[in-house]
Parts: sequence; C-alpha cells; structure tokens
Amino acid sequence: MAAEFQQQAIALASQQSVLGWLNDAREQGQLAWNTHAWPTRKTEAWRYTSLLPVENEQWQLSDTASDTLPQSALAELIEFDAYRLVFVNGQLRADLSSDLPASLVLFADANADQQSVIKQHLNQVADQQVHLFTALSSSLLNQGALLHLSKNQRLEKPVYIVHINDKANAKVTNARLLLVLESGAEAQVVEHFFSTDDQDRGWINAVTECSVGANASLRHHRINLESEQALHTGAVHVALAESARFNGFTVANGSRLKRIDYHIKHLGSGSDLQLNGIYLPRHQQRVDYHTCVEHVVPHCTTTEVFRGVIADSARAVFNGRIHIHQDAQKTLAEMSNRNLLTSDQAQVNTKPELEIYADDVRCAHGATVSQLNDEALFYLTSRGISEAEARVMLSFGFVNELVEGVELEALQQWLRPRIAHMFGQSDQLTRHIIHE
Amino acid sequence: MSEQVEQLIRKEYAAGFHTDIESETLPPGLNEDVIRFISAKKNEPEWMLEWRLKAYKIWLTMEEPEWAHVHYPEIDFQSISYFSAPKSYEDRPKSLDEVDPDLIETYNKLGIPLHEQEMLAGVAVDAVFDSVSVVTTYRAKLEEAGVIFCPISEAVHRFPDLVKKYLGSVVPQRDNYYSALNCAVFSDGSFVYIPKGVRCPMELSTYFRINEMNTGQFERTLIIADEGSHVSYLEGCTAPQRDENQLHAAVVELVALDNAEIKYSTVQNWYPGDENGKGGIYNFVTKRGICHTRAKISWTQVETGSAVTWKYPSCILKGDHSIGEFYSVALTNNYQQADTGTKMIHLGKNTKSTIISKGISAGHSQNAYRGLVRMGSSAAGARNYTQCDSLLIGDRCGAHTFPYIESAHPSAIVEHEATTSKVSDDQMFLCQQRGLDAEKAVSMIVNGFCREVFKQLPMEFAVEAGKLLEVSLEGSVG
Repeated sequence: MAAEFQQQAIALASQQSVLGWLNDAREQGQLAWNTHAWPTRKTEAWRYTSLLPVENEQWQLSDTASDTLPQSALAELIEFDAYRLVFVNGQLRADLSSDLPASLVLFADANADQQSVIKQHLNQVADQQVHLFTALSSSLLNQGALLHLSKNQRLEKPVYIVHINDKANAKVTNARLLLVLESGAEAQVVEHFFSTDDQDRGWINAVTECSVGANASLRHHRINLESEQALHTGAVHVALAESARFNGFTVANGSRLKRIDYHIKHLGSGSDLQLNGIYLPRHQQRVDYHTCVEHVVPHCTTTEVFRGVIADSARAVFNGRIHIHQDAQKTLAEMSNRNLLTSDQAQVNTKPELEIYADDVRCAHGATVSQLNDEALFYLTSRGISEAEARVMLSFGFVNELVEGVELEALQQWLRPRIAHMFGQSDQLTRHIIHE
Repeated sequence: MSEQVEQLIRKEYAAGFHTDIESETLPPGLNEDVIRFISAKKNEPEWMLEWRLKAYKIWLTMEEPEWAHVHYPEIDFQSISYFSAPKSYEDRPKSLDEVDPDLIETYNKLGIPLHEQEMLAGVAVDAVFDSVSVVTTYRAKLEEAGVIFCPISEAVHRFPDLVKKYLGSVVPQRDNYYSALNCAVFSDGSFVYIPKGVRCPMELSTYFRINEMNTGQFERTLIIADEGSHVSYLEGCTAPQRDENQLHAAVVELVALDNAEIKYSTVQNWYPGDENGKGGIYNFVTKRGICHTRAKISWTQVETGSAVTWKYPSCILKGDHSIGEFYSVALTNNYQQADTGTKMIHLGKNTKSTIISKGISAGHSQNAYRGLVRMGSSAAGARNYTQCDSLLIGDRCGAHTFPYIESAHPSAIVEHEATTSKVSDDQMFLCQQRGLDAEKAVSMIVNGFCREVFKQLPMEFAVEAGKLLEVSLEGSVG
C-alpha cells in the first residue's frame, strides 16, 4: 500500500510541465520522497494519525482554477489592506489578487536574481529527509511564491496569501511559499486556506519556508479552515539568525486528515520565537499539530502556547518538542498545551517533549486536559445565562486569549465570530461575545 | 571544576566486590533444553514448564524494542548463562547460623548485616543471592498472620492455584520482549500473598544481588493483596563491580484486589559501569500492577545504578475509585543512560493517579522520563497530576521528557508539568553565603529537590537512598 502511493506521487510529478531551473530541486525532492519509509501506526510521528485518507484515493493533480467562485467564497476573504495573492485549486487568480510589490513574485515570474535566491534557500530551511510531506512538495514542485526582502526593507502592507479549494473530487494541490528576509527586514504574512464546498475532497500539501535574517522580524499567520472532507498536510519551517524574531500564529479546524508541522531552528544567538496555536476540531474531524523547536545556539528564547477545544467525536493530536543542543546554554524555553474536551466521544493525545543536552537552561512545559470548569459554568448560569450560552462563552474565552495576541486587528475581527460560531451556531449563543 | 571535585566524581563504586561462592552454572546459551533444565532443577510441575515454553516461543517471534532513548551494543542472548544457584541450595540453611559465612560477609560490606536484620524491627528479609533464595527470616511470624512470603519456586509447589491464577495476569507472556524472555527463563523471586483484611505486620524486603559472572538475573515477583489487605514491600539491589555487561530482566506483578493497598519501594544501585562507560548492568524491567475497586498501588523508586535502565512501573486502574502513585528519583552519572517513567492506565471511574518524577543527570549521562497517562473512555471523573523535574549538573549530560497523554473522557482531568534547569545559582549563593561549602550545598539542594519522593520511602530505605544520592553526586558541582 505504502510504497504504492509513493510511486503514484512520482507518476503524478511526471505529468507536470516544470520550470527548467527548478529541475534539480525536484529531483532531490523525489530522491528524498522515495527514501522515506512510508509511515505506519508504529511510526512515532504518525502514531495517532492515520494516512489512510491519502492511501485510499487515486489522486490527480489539480490544474484548473474555477472561473466563477460563489459569492460566499469571496465573502470568506479577510478584508484588509494587503498585498493579496489568491490561488484557486493551486492556480493563481490574477483578477482576485492585488498589485504586487517587486519583492513578491511567483516562481514562474522570478527574475535571475530571484531565481538564485530561490535556488539558494529552497529546502535549505526545511529538512526533507525528516519531513515526509515536504519531500512530496519538492517532488511535485512546479510553482510557488517568493517573498524576498532585502536588507532593512520593511513591507508597508501585510502579505495575504489565499488558497481556495473548490473541488469535490480527489485532486492534490501543491502550495509552496518561500519567505526570505535579509537582515533587519520586517514583514507580516497571512496564509489562509479554505474550501468553498463542504464536500470538497481535495488535498492540499502546503509547505512554507522562512529564512529570517539577523535582526529581521517576521509575523506569520496560518489559518486553516478547510472543509471536513478535505485533506491538509502542511509544514512551516523557520530558520532564525542572530537576534531574529518570529511571531507565529496558527488556527485550524479539523478535517479527514489535517497534519501541520512547525519546525523552527534557532541558528543565531539572541533570536526569539513566539508561537501560538489554536485547534478546534468538531464532528468526526481530525487535527494533528507537530511542533519542533531546536535551540542550536545560546541565548535564545521560545514561548509556545497551543490550546485546543475538541468537540463531538473529534480527535486532536498535539506533539510539541523542544530540543536544546549542547551549545545552547542560557536558553529560556516554555511550552504550554491546554485542551478542553466538550463531549464524551472527544479525544486528545498530547505529548509535550523536552530533549535537553545543555545544563544552563530553563525549560518548562505543561499540558492539561479537562472539561469546562463546573464552577465557572455555575457562576455564569447563576447570573441568568443559559448553560448552552455559558459553554460557548467559556470555550470561546479559552482560546480568545490567543486571538487577542494577534497583532493584525483585521484578522482578529475576522476570526472572532468564526471561532464563536464553531462553538454555537445561533446568534443567541454568541451575543455576549461578538458585537456586530 | 576543582581537583577535589573531580576526585569525588571519580569515586569508585563503593559496593564493588565479588564474593567467591561456588555455584552451579549452566553454560551460556538459550534453547528449549535450557528451559527444561531450569524447570527440572526446580522440580517444577508440568504446567509451569509448558508456560515457560510457550513464553519462549513467543519470545522467538518478537523483536528487541528500539524506541527508548538509550544506546548500547547489541545483546547476544546466546552468550548469557541462564541459570546459576549457590551450591548450598540442596541443603538450605534452617537459620542464620547455617548461612555461608561468605554471604554474611557480603551483606556486612553492604552495610546490611543479616544478623542485625532480626533486630531491625518490622523487616523480614528474603535474601536472594543470585538466583536462589538462600535465607528467609521471620517466616513464622508472617505465617501467624496468614501472610505467605516465600520464593516463587516454592510457591509453585505449595500454592499452585494462586500462582496459576495470577502469574502472567498483569504482565502477560507476550507483553514485551524482555518480559517474554523473563517468562521463559525466570530463575526465582518472591511470592507474596496477603489474605483478606490482613495488614501485613511488617515490611517485606528482598535484597537482590547479581553475583555470578555472565549470569543474567531474571527475577520474577508476584504480589497478591487480597481484599482489604495492606502490604509494604521493599526491594533493593547492589551488584559487585564487573567489566562485562550483565543483563537484568525482571518482571514484577502486583495484584491489588478490592480495597487492598500495595506499596512497592525500590532502591536500585546495580553497578553503573566505570567512568568511561565500560561495563555496568543492563536493567530492563517490567513492573506493573492492577488495581481493583478502591485499591491502591504506590510505586516508589530510587534509581542510581545500572549502565542502561529501561523501566516503567505502571498501574492499571481497572476498578472504580482506585489510586495509582509513582514517585521516582532517577540519578545518572558518567555514561549511564536511563529511560524510565510510568504508565497510568485509567479505566475505572473516579480513578486517581499521581506521578512525581525527579531526574538528575551529571557527567555524560542521559536521563529520560517517558510516561503515559491514558484516560479510557470509561474513566469518568478520573484525575491525574504529573510533575517531572530534571536537574542538570555539568554541560555534557542530557535530560529528556517524553510524556504521552491520551484522554478520551471529558470529565477526566490531566495535568502535566515539567521543568528542567541546573542547580540554581541563587540557591548555591544562599547556602555558601551561610558558610556551607559548595559540596554540601549541592547535596542539600539535590536532597531538597528529591524530598517529595524520599518522604514516600519507608524509614530504612529513606536513609539508604539519601546516602546513595550523596555518594553518587558528591563533587558534581561545576
């Protein structure tokens, strides 16, 4: 079964036309992809998440963008002043996108300098020997987007990259984003994934690589709200140079298969990482976050907070790993993972790991799993709020703390009602938390 | 690091000596004949032999686990001798006076002279010298209370029904690679049965000692606490200094029936290998207990020895309102590796578990906590609290935490916290500023770090554990 899908993917790759200068990267990707042992339930990284949805399908490459998108899809876009790139089924829709600055290009439009930047950085941040689906992404590589900021360049507007899927059949979309910030540069990026159709059975494999130079600062947001039938395998790889800052935020609902890896390396001393995540699976959904933070050099800090509310028969997996290398003295690293189970059938498997080889460090992690606090519920109901509404309020409050940490006001505004409606469909239940 | 400190770190293993007692040893190798030999040697009934052979067949189909965070050269299971018994086995001594004086000498060196044990109120010793129980004290007093405390080889003859019913009921033959091996070749061990409603009048204690060159030690312990009973069991180990790696694959099974309570304490100080990581014991142990309704099992361990430790004392909280506890101090120095922790499987309603794990790594050692807390879908109102702290001493060691938390019930509450740090400079400063030298200060701080666990140990052990820690750690101040 396993190797079968690996072959299928290579066959898919051969159907594509490809940019000549990306050939080497593709070949290396295919090499890595073929050498990966296909995960089973005994593979530690896939212990709780089944790849059957990938294996049980005959995949085709998605190559066409729908001409017309339903109005409801357009309404899902976050309205704010940004450089916007909209992809539908992996194809760029210029009509929905905005004018782009020179620093933001598609791989296909890259000039010679940009091509060399891509060649220099692609798969340098990500380790495709370790990350299976990053190897797949490289194997299928034929397009992507590059944001390259030169020294001390500061982008006035956030970059907003949208991936919309509207296919009800089994098509695989390969999304690739490369963010290269030279020293002192600053940028904000929002990646947004959603489907127009509840029955969308498409699969998007989205890999983002961020190379953050010395003193550079990147705020990165990843919003994964696809349909329940959709598949998503994604990864965000970050390399931080001296005194670089990365501020990450991610929110995801669940779907048939949703696996998101964050792999961050502190490669220059004094770098700082903040990573906040929210997962909200419902119904039969699955969601799996794997994060790995490597401290390679001294004097770096990491703060990581993930919260999840798991409803109905959903299942969530969180695996957070902090790896302190031998030289990484004076590291401060903290990780917290809190989970709420709101139904009898909900399940969560969490594994906050520490792997520490340096002695002068302060590392801590905490994890909790529980249901809503009875006393808090009582407090609200004793003040005349119905129990159903109290539950919505408390669940919302549980994750809202992280939403409030998002710097982009527009994103906060957009996110709040959507999260609230996941907990309570009717306006009656959310009237105290959203003011429209 | 000062020279004095270096010297202290290099302090040789204090319990490193080897007693010459003639013993009957089987040539190395493992096959069905070896198992038949062991079984015949112990005059075991047919069903016991069948059970061993079944385990052996299962073992042959299994593979050595590789997931633990430890590295060691591959073990050649055919180069190990699977049976060794002191010669005096055939005419077992009736009292302490008849015991081989060499043996007594061994215990004297360890600071636990047997003839003093009698005076140590409340402790009965079933001393296991290599594979055969040599001396048993206080038997009479225990029998009066109806408590059965005897070698498991004896229990097979005297209480076949109990053994048949419970042996392998908690750790089945195919549970894991090492337990399967143990099932096939287990040499001896303790058997304890506490009848209904009886509170065992004294703490039961067994000292193990690996003493025969190239002899794997395969202990098998089975403790059954019948309804409403209570027992506290102490297990301690030291081993003579050796160059070759020795395999220790023990299995401990605890059965706590309704309202029963078992407290199981271990001080483990097998030979850890020398400062270059040469030699030392491989300690691959499977320990597990099952709790029925309102029963309680408490594991307390102080692990300072062994080159490689692979040990996860676990509780299956099957009955409603049952309680599982795990208190652990694991200390590694030089090139020691430890991958230890616990599993708390919550199946019953309102079950509770507490995990307190303290890891201390020094030198080039690697110390990992690996734990599982599973809230089954029927574990309504279950509660777990886990705290695992690591202390690092020196910049070449590692401390790792791999907690698995699986929750499938909303009303179950799981809390996990872990911290890793070095000995705080502030604390050191405070102690030194009050006139304590660095040595003493570290010793105090580490003892304070482990206090929560030490206070769970029975008095006799608490003293030994404190001492052990002090000896193992003295001078690790950087």
